[in-house]
Amino acid sequence: MTTLSNPGYPPGTVITGKWRNSRYIVERMLGKGANGKVYLVHRAGVRGRYALKVGHDALDLQSEINVLNALKEQMPDPYLVEADDHHDGSHEVSFYVMRYIEGSPLHRFIRKRGTEWVSLIGLKLLEKLSVLHASGYAFGDLKPDNVMVSAYGRVELIDYGGVSSFGRSVKQFTEWYDRGYWNAGSRTGDVSYDLFSFAVMCIGLLDEKSLREASCQLPQTRSVADLQLILRRNPVFKPYAVWLNKALCGNFADSREALNEWKKRMYEGTVKSARPIPGRTPRWLRNAFALSLVIMACAVYFFFRS
Amino acid sequence: MKQILLITDGCSNVGASPVLAAAHALQDGIVVNVVGVLDYGTIGELGGLEIKEIAKAGGGIHRIVGTPQLAQTMQMMTRKTVVQTIQQAVNKEIQHILGSGSLEELPPDKRSQVVEVVDELAETSSLQVALLIDASASMKPKLAAVEEAIRDLMLSLKARLGSSKLSVFHFPGKHSGEDVVMDVDWTSDLDGARGMFSRLQMKGATPTGPALLKVIEFYRYGTLEGNQSWQGDSSQEEGMLGDYVV
Ligand SMILES: Nc1ncnc2c1ncn2[C@@H]1O[C@H](COP(=O)(O)OP(=O)(O)OP(=O)(O)O)[C@@H](O)[C@H]1O
Ligand SMILES: [Mg+2]
Repeated sequence: MTTLSNPGYPPGTVITGKWRNSRYIVERMLGKGANGKVYLVHRAGVRGRYALKVGHDALDLQSEINVLNALKEQMPDPYLVEADDHHDGSHEVSFYVMRYIEGSPLHRFIRKRGTEWVSLIGLKLLEKLSVLHASGYAFGDLKPDNVMVSAYGRVELIDYGGVSSFGRSVKQFTEWYDRGYWNAGSRTGDVSYDLFSFAVMCIGLLDEKSLREASCQLPQTRSVADLQLILRRNPVFKPYAVWLNKALCGNFADSREALNEWKKRMYEGTVKSARPIPGRTPRWLRNAFALSLVIMACAVYFFFRS
Repeated sequence: MKQILLITDGCSNVGASPVLAAAHALQDGIVVNVVGVLDYGTIGELGGLEIKEIAKAGGGIHRIVGTPQLAQTMQMMTRKTVVQTIQQAVNKEIQHILGSGSLEELPPDKRSQVVEVVDELAETSSLQVALLIDASASMKPKLAAVEEAIRDLMLSLKARLGSSKLSVFHFPGKHSGEDVVMDVDWTSDLDGARGMFSRLQMKGATPTGPALLKVIEFYRYGTLEGNQSWQGDSSQEEGMLGDYVV
């Protein structure tokens, strides 16, 4: 098939919308997947860059666009910019334009910057998920490739192709992160489905080797117990274990509760000693201030002496 | 919606043409998908060609994969076929309403509405999938993986809102002249069925065509013996669409 061997559009290609006439100029390809290719583009004559996804299949892409449109009203800064068709010389293709998310996928970020970022990024990701959940949608295909992290730990979800309304079947999933794969429940999109994936993702980020080993056994014996065993064996999970266990067992009522408990647990241990008390001046500032007072006193003293 | 998913690793060698059998299935409103499972070597030019031809004649898709990708592939093919079947019906409606044109030619707002309907029907309409497993000798080491993949497919289908049923057959049977054996009758829950293929006797013959014809009969009459009592009909689908596409 043409779509499989197709190398994609070279830099400088102009993509023109058939219905709305916007023109986008390709800078480079950002990535490709089962559903399409994503390019970094800018609008002709305007500054500002976008990501533009060209779909392999008009129907699949439209169903992704429908989800993004439905979410547009709920999101503080909308992800979807516009959708249109483009005639690329040989055939008609559908595309949509979205916000360009700069950064690297979660697993690469953690590998580069260290596992101590997991608690903060986990928190930000849970915030994103709870916005989605509040609109009645499950993300579905939650995995490190679909979580982009910018240089200072800003987190964004990409690839909404797996999103489904609560109570509907999950459209796309990936073995390790799938509740069904671990014989731990249905493939129906709900809050706990995403929280389960989130938990497996954390396990993979903190101890990929053990997760890989656990996934290698016979399919019929695979279970949550194997994941729980990893939590118990490796001390790196100490601050996370109780929370992760609860997510694996589907014991959070909703993602707000999950978020609050994450906050509570993560910030109790690590940040407690250094936590600034709201409304009070941090100690380093007080010390610095005290020091500057001393210096000023000396300066004044010397000034009057001379 | 009715599908047959044929899982094989090579060429048929006895009886009626499987390509003709697949064409009969499509005529009855049953889409035939084919997975070639292959862990080592190649499936052979002939085998590959036959797999493709069966799927073409049966209005379905075909894939050749190793056992590690089997589960994922089966679930993808089933899902894709559901959407395609609905899309074909919807396209017919679109042409009916607009005189001509398909999904791709619709303006964005219309297309968005149509796809919403397609997604809705894909999730809610009732679905039957008959799995037909080639149990000739070369398939033996793959059958455990096949069984797991069937279980995984059931899990995915169970999550749908619409009713979903699976049945499982293998071929050939023990006795000569027995083209196909039913392992699991229509069910929406496989929890009870462990060791689906444990009592198999592997044989060399691969009567793919005759086995397909038997499964078509099973769809028609609800039994392998060739009986009366028709099971549903295809007019149901169009009535459903009529409600949506106005
Ligand atoms: N908004 C964006 N900003 C920056 N990069 C992006 C954006 N969207 C997608 N990408 C890049 O393009 C790649 C493919 O995108 P996407 O996952 O949407 O495609 P897909 O076909 O649905 O892939 P998959 O097969 O993983 O489902 C991503 O892995 C990512 O690297
Ligand atoms: Mg995707």
